[in-house]
Order: sequence, then structure tokens, then C-alpha cells
Amino acid sequence: MKRKEFIRKAGLLTAGTAAAPYILPSGRLFARTNTPLADHVVLVMFAGGVRQQEAVLQRYLDDSQDVKVQGNIMYNLLEGAAPATKIAYGTTAPGGYNGGQPIPRLLSQSLQSQGTLFTEMRAQSAGHYTGLTTLMTGNPGVAQGLKARPRFPTLFEYLRRHAGFKASECWFIGNTIGNSTPLLNASDHSEYGLAYGGNFFAAPVTFGSAGIDVLSNAKPYSDEDLQPMYAMKEFLDRSFNLEASAFDSVRNTPEERTRIKEWMRDVYRRLQSGQIAFPPVTDNGDAFSIGMAAEVLREFKPKVLVVNMSAVDGCHSNFTGYLQSLHRADHATGWLWDRIQRTIPEMSGKTTLIVAPECGRNLNPNPIQDDNDWYAYDHSDANALRVWGLMAGPNVPRNLVVGNENNSVGRLTDIVPTIAHILGVKDEAMNAGYLDPLARSLFDRI
Amino acid sequence: MNMPSSVKLSLLLLPLLAACTEKETLRYGLQDQVVYEDKTQKTKRKSESEYISILYTNLYQQPITPNQLYKTQQVVQSIGDRTLAWEMLLSNYFNKPGIQMPAETFMRAETDSFINMAYRRYYLRRPGEAERAWFRNFIRNRSDATVEMVFTAFAASDEYAFY
Repeated sequence: MKRKEFIRKAGLLTAGTAAAPYILPSGRLFARTNTPLADHVVLVMFAGGVRQQEAVLQRYLDDSQDVKVQGNIMYNLLEGAAPATKIAYGTTAPGGYNGGQPIPRLLSQSLQSQGTLFTEMRAQSAGHYTGLTTLMTGNPGVAQGLKARPRFPTLFEYLRRHAGFKASECWFIGNTIGNSTPLLNASDHSEYGLAYGGNFFAAPVTFGSAGIDVLSNAKPYSDEDLQPMYAMKEFLDRSFNLEASAFDSVRNTPEERTRIKEWMRDVYRRLQSGQIAFPPVTDNGDAFSIGMAAEVLREFKPKVLVVNMSAVDGCHSNFTGYLQSLHRADHATGWLWDRIQRTIPEMSGKTTLIVAPECGRNLNPNPIQDDNDWYAYDHSDANALRVWGLMAGPNVPRNLVVGNENNSVGRLTDIVPTIAHILGVKDEAMNAGYLDPLARSLFDRI
Repeated sequence: MNMPSSVKLSLLLLPLLAACTEKETLRYGLQDQVVYEDKTQKTKRKSESEYISILYTNLYQQPITPNQLYKTQQVVQSIGDRTLAWEMLLSNYFNKPGIQMPAETFMRAETDSFINMAYRRYYLRRPGEAERAWFRNFIRNRSDATVEMVFTAFAASDEYAFY
């Protein structure tokens, strides 16, 4: 071999050896740019429009119904004593008052004491869908249409494209197929889009009575059984040659699909025999969704899971029901955190939980009164832009409160860069050019 | 001048007689043809309800009930990966009685006919020579390629989602 050729080949070999370990499934050459702060992130979108006054301000009926009773009805998340009288947020004991029995606290230490609370953040919209889109994209979502995929990349797309995560490592557990919820798992952005989207289940539908009726009788195929089918399907798909831009959904690999299908069969079986664990009080769709989110965590140990709750939105016409839903959302979130720590060793101590509402609620009520003669609240004014955020997990300062009623710190558009920061791709997400220009990682606001 | 009435009558009927010439029948030698789709012309994606209705009718040779269609549509919409949803749905259909499928022996003994039938049934077109050859080879060499797996592959394929 000539000297020149030897040097050229040796150079290529060295470069290849150095680069190969960093080539990600996405085709990207270099891995994450900042040190990850945790291995997993769970984002709870909480929970359908939460009025600041009944949540972090803990004013219960005092700031809404002119009834002088204050107190904390979210004691798994927040520090503070529960209301002493006029209890209407709990469960209903036989022969007792509606909601007269508070749900026992699940966490010995509140999430606030285990992490950092941003007491006064700003939502970028007073509406649910724009709020949810903001939480998922880090973009204010101006001109975002209903029943349409987000216009800007979702956190799943940033993570899959820049950190190389698989689809089965990114999950969105929604609570409905209504509005745009099933479309929040990926944007239609030309540089990202469905090819980088996350998996989605609308838990109450997929695993509710309709799902059981339609899908629970699946044949138990093994990987080997399905191998010829996938070979034929691959041939047929190659022959048809559908462009990626024509995909209508997220795509798992055949191996991932087989695993998810086996898991679904198992879930249907265990659901029908009552073997799935749910929060102790599961009497609404939110708690069911949280229970199914825990099942996904248990099976797939995803890098990121987002779960949506919305029962609180009953506040449009029933304030008592709103208090009860808020109390249950706290209960379900506390249960989920406890479940991760106690029953999923691969995620225990390695997971950051982030909780934030998609919007707040109005300062003044609408004219609708419930059975307690309490007024209901919509969400359309400046008070509906007041929200809070909470995070707990590795590298999150403990027992820290940031901001106050007169000093707003943080925006809902911060959630995506915060998650990107935790999982090591903050710079990529920030520099992509599609986040709110004012968005920052919440760690950089502390 | 007086004309006899018989002549007058003849003059009146003359135009009618002239109009009654025999009409020429044109024959172009056309024969009835079955028209197949061309995969390059399949550009419209089936809606979920179209997909479910067509699939159900295809497999069971009877229409799905509106109630079952609505429920199935909702469940499919609740799953982010549509391919996964279709595969789960197919797996459920194949596990229920009443499905109309050819026998395994037919697929093995008359492979070309089976391939033609599968392409017509699912894609409404004939297979190309390369497609037929690939499937012929695959079916002959793979004992684990069952009719159920062939049908699942067709029904879960991209082309079946378009028309």
C-alpha cells in the first residue's frame, strides 16, 4: 500500500470510529448538548382551567363565593392546611353531604416541599386548546386552528429528532378524542412533524368500554407469527412508496408495535379482571387517565410522558364540582408520583415531574349557581392568564418557592425548554427558532 | 281541377312513407371489460369510517352496523399510531367467527390465483409481474406465511389506505 493511500484510509477509519457512537437513529451526528438533569420527565397538564385563587393562593371559598373559609384542597401538591369548614370538595359518604369527606393525603411530603413551586406564572392564552398547544410546543400558538395539528414542533419532536428517542419512549396520554387532543402528539411542521411524533392514547376511549368491545379480543401473535406479515407489508409499502409527508399518524417500528400490541392485550385482560392499579378515588375520567399513564410508565419507562386532565373545566357551570375535580386532580397526581417512586425502580429517583395548568379562570363569576348556591367561573379575562407551575425530581431545588402574587416568574412556554433542558437538548430546542422568544428553561429562572 | 280522393290520400301519405326508412345500426365490436384501479392514481386517503366499512365488508362479506362503525371509529381515533390501530383491529376481526377467507390449501396449490384474488380484493387491481413473482416466491418459501398474515399485510398496508 502506498504511503499516501495508507494515510487516507487511516484517517477515514479514525474519523469513522470517532463519529460512529454518536450517530443517532435520527441520523444526527452528535448527541445531547447539555448534561441531562434526569432520565425521565412526566408532565401533568393540570387539569382544565385552574383558578389561581383556589389553587396556590389557597383561598377556597373566600375569594370566589364571599364565604370566609380559606384552605388548601391540593395538599399532595402544595403545603398548607386544608379548609376547616364548609367541606364540599371530597367524596360523598353514604347519607353524608355532597363532597363532605376529604380524600386522605397520599404523600407524606408535598411535592412543593420536594421541589420548586412557581407561584405566579403567565399563560399565553385563556383558552384550553391554545394552552395545551402552548404546553406541548413552547410556542404561544397564535393563529393555531382547532381540529388541526400544532403548527410548531411539539416537545416529542424536539426530543426524538435531537436526542434520538424512539416513538415508544415518548407518550401522550389524553383524556378524550374531542377537539384537538388526539392531534397534540405531533405538529405538521415540515422540518419535524409526524416522523418525530409521540405515541398517543385517549385512555378513556382506548381502554374504556368501547376499546374493550372493539379491541380486547385480539389474537395473541408472537414476534415470530408476525414476522412474515411485516415482511409482506414492507414489500407492499415499498411498492406503493408513500412519501413521509403523506403519513397520517405517528409510526412505531414493527418491533415497537408488536410490543405495544402485546401490552394492550395484557391491559385489556387485566382491566377486565380488575388487576390494573388506579388512584384510590377513581370516579372520573382524569383518574382513569392517570391510572393508564402509570401503566404506560410501568411497561415502557418512557423518556417523556405527558398526561392531560380536564375535569376541572366543569367550573363553567358547577363550582362545587370544580372543587371536587381539583381535589381529585391533586389526589391523582400525588398517586402517580408515589407510584413512580414505589413501583417503578427504573424510574424512581430518576424522574422529574412537572405540573402546570393550561390556563386559569376568571376573576369574576358567571351567573350560574350550583346546588350550594355557589357561582361558576369561565376563563376569558386577565385572571385566566394567571397560572402556576411545580416541578420535583433530580437536580430540582427542594422546598423552593419562586415568585409571588406581585412578581410573576415564568411562562407556560417555558415548559418545553425546561423538558429539553432536563433531557439534554436545551440548545437544540432553543435554537430551532420555533419557541416563544421569551421562553426559557425554568431552571434558568431560579 | 278535381283530383280523385285516392290520389289525394296517396299524396298525403307519401312523406310518411319516405320517413320510414330502415335505420342503420352501428356496431363497434366492443366487449364488456372489468376496470381495475391503478396504484399511481390512488391519491385520496380513505377516511376512518370508509376504511373500517370497506375492511369489514371485505372480510365478512356483509356491512358493519352503524353503531359498531361509530364505536370502532372512535377507538381508532384514540390511538396515535394508526397502523398499530389497524393491526389491532384486524387481529380482533380474525379472531371472530364469520370471516370469509380462502383455505390455506388454495393458497398453496393455486398460488397465482390466490395472489390475483388478494390484489383484486384489497387493491382493486391486478398485481404487476414483479409483485406476483415476489409473492409467489414468498409464499412458496415461507411455511409461516398464512392466508391470515397475507390478508393482514394487505389490509394494514399503505396502499389499502388510499383510493
